[in-house]
Amino acid sequence: MPTDSQTLLLLFPEISLVCMAAVIFVGGTFGNNRRGWSFYALAAYGVAAFALWRSADAWSGGAAAYMPSGPFAVDIMGYSLRWLALATGVVLTLLAARQAPKQLASEFLGGLMLVVVGVMLVCSANELTMVFLGLELVSVPTYMLLFLGRNDRATAEATIKYFFLSILASAFLLYGMSFLYGLTGSTSLPEIRASLAAAHEIPALNVAQQPLLQATLVLLLVGLGFKIAAAPFHFYAPDVYQGATNLTAGLLATAPKIAGIAVLIRLVVAAFPPDDFIWQLFMTLAILSMTIGNVCALWQNNIRRLMAYSSIAHSGYMLIGLAVAAAANSLLAEETSVANLQAANLQAAGIAATLFYLTVYVFASLGVFAACSLLAEKERGFENISDLSGLAKSKPWAAGAIAVFMFSLAGIPPLAGFWGKLSLMTESLNVALPFNGSTLATAFCVLAVVGMLNAAIAAGYYLRVIAVMFFQPPTGHAEPSVHTEPVGGWLTGAAVGLCTVAVLGIGLAPQMAAEQSSRSEDGVRVFVTTHATQPAANLATLEIRGAAEPEVTQQAASK
Amino acid sequence: MDSAFYPAFLFVGCALGLACLMYGMGRVMGPRRAGRVKEMPYESGMDPINDARRRFDVRFHLVAIAFLLFDVELLFLYPWAVASRNPEGIDRAVAATQTAAGAMRGATDFSRLLVFGEVMVFIALLALGLVYAWRKGVFQWR
Repeated sequence: MPTDSQTLLLLFPEISLVCMAAVIFVGGTFGNNRRGWSFYALAAYGVAAFALWRSADAWSGGAAAYMPSGPFAVDIMGYSLRWLALATGVVLTLLAARQAPKQLASEFLGGLMLVVVGVMLVCSANELTMVFLGLELVSVPTYMLLFLGRNDRATAEATIKYFFLSILASAFLLYGMSFLYGLTGSTSLPEIRASLAAAHEIPALNVAQQPLLQATLVLLLVGLGFKIAAAPFHFYAPDVYQGATNLTAGLLATAPKIAGIAVLIRLVVAAFPPDDFIWQLFMTLAILSMTIGNVCALWQNNIRRLMAYSSIAHSGYMLIGLAVAAAANSLLAEETSVANLQAANLQAAGIAATLFYLTVYVFASLGVFAACSLLAEKERGFENISDLSGLAKSKPWAAGAIAVFMFSLAGIPPLAGFWGKLSLMTESLNVALPFNGSTLATAFCVLAVVGMLNAAIAAGYYLRVIAVMFFQPPTGHAEPSVHTEPVGGWLTGAAVGLCTVAVLGIGLAPQMAAEQSSRSEDGVRVFVTTHATQPAANLATLEIRGAAEPEVTQQAASK
Repeated sequence: MDSAFYPAFLFVGCALGLACLMYGMGRVMGPRRAGRVKEMPYESGMDPINDARRRFDVRFHLVAIAFLLFDVELLFLYPWAVASRNPEGIDRAVAATQTAAGAMRGATDFSRLLVFGEVMVFIALLALGLVYAWRKGVFQWR
């Protein structure tokens, strides 16, 4: 166990960010200079990024450095996702430098920083209390930021909707956690895992705990499904995104999603004993989210409503990877050594694919909202896709950037989104690989087919945006339109640029991602040989690096 | 019945008795001059029967939040104060962990300092909240 000073060093990024946020809050009452505080916030993120970079060895040291007890898991997944959270914070702060309300700029920037800290804490939380507190640290400032975004009725309505539904979701999550605590008598995830696995080995106990575990899983998924906006818990998303600004919509599309996926991986995939019900539930949610999100997005005219449905659909894609990991967990329980090895690889690969997809989605989605801010930073912003017509002529750079993000979200080959979708579909088919007509194989075949069909449907509305920008003449605009207004400042431009670099970088250098995933599979394989006898307590899933690219996010965070 | 519950019953009885005593004494000894306003249920100075959507002063919320600030502080400080210098509390847990980790003697003192320092940080953060509220003019009842 690390001593206190080591723990403090590991948590230095979070601690420094909280202190800086406090300084921003209080300092803002003495002088509320939006630009000044934005640069201060960027410097704070720089300090945190430096500290995170310095502590890289402790986080990625492999099994030796892994701290199995205590409220924080010191592992590579937490490390990579913290970089992602920092990068998100930097991009959003760059946008806020021009868009935060002038009178309350410091409150806005400080709140944003606390959200980032919340995401960072959740990503490495290894204890139920820590998970819940971290998620609340994400939610509570989000309510405030949503309300500060703009000053009209739609924003107030969006804030109230999000506030009440978020509280309801938190209540469900807490209820599920209380069941988990009741079953195992511990709030520590490793202890929960060990306790559940031990009970799983005894048939009588297993029969007794299975219905309760399934109820727990459903409750947890209601709470976390709200955070990642998965169907059928998605109903708030379109209205709230529409009422938000481009900046706060970008926040909603990324921060809760990173946190929710991290918790899903740690809590559900890694802590629950193998049970067919888990992958069935994940698969149902994945299919529902993908289909509802993509089909509803087809007839949206409002750009933020479209992005809301797009974010719902992408949650569905990410759930594919989790379904794969959960199914691999079930396969592991069959206990034949060859299948065991394969299934362990699958489990790692499923989670890696989800994390990779999450990274890709975060940058592409943030990029779209950043580019929208670039076009219209005035109060109202532009609302409809038809407003973009002819943008390729009047503002070719902005149109090009939006096109890159849309292509990536749609999954067109040279860009990052393609590799994300490819890895998810590959893993889904890998589960089904024996094609032996079992329920599991058939189900995952269907899942892959539905996923591909959905990618085609999604291309319909992503490409429509591009078609409007590039092939339609600018007609019927009321003045002022996106064509006559000047573009937002260089800070907003820098945010768009960062996202573009990330999307292009991950897209053009997929071999990095391939190396990362093979490395993680190696790590898992070493682990499986020693722990093959206790498949349920497979700690290996937490050891994997995922395909999140620290190199790319490092660039983003240090700028 | 478990005799452990007797103190609880005693407590309930005393509470009931005290309430009855105070209420009865007020009824017997107090002057009674009823008026329309005096008969009204107490709602912090607001009209109790009204539209629920009526606007009311945001200062109520501000005062409530400022109150919470200090209430939570006390709530947190009491258990800390009891546990931190208690030989059975944090001190012992810290010492046990340090001994298990094979740390030197001074390490326990450092951990003690840390436990103290953490609460000081907590109080400092709350004080910052107070400064923030002050600067924002929460305590000026204009």
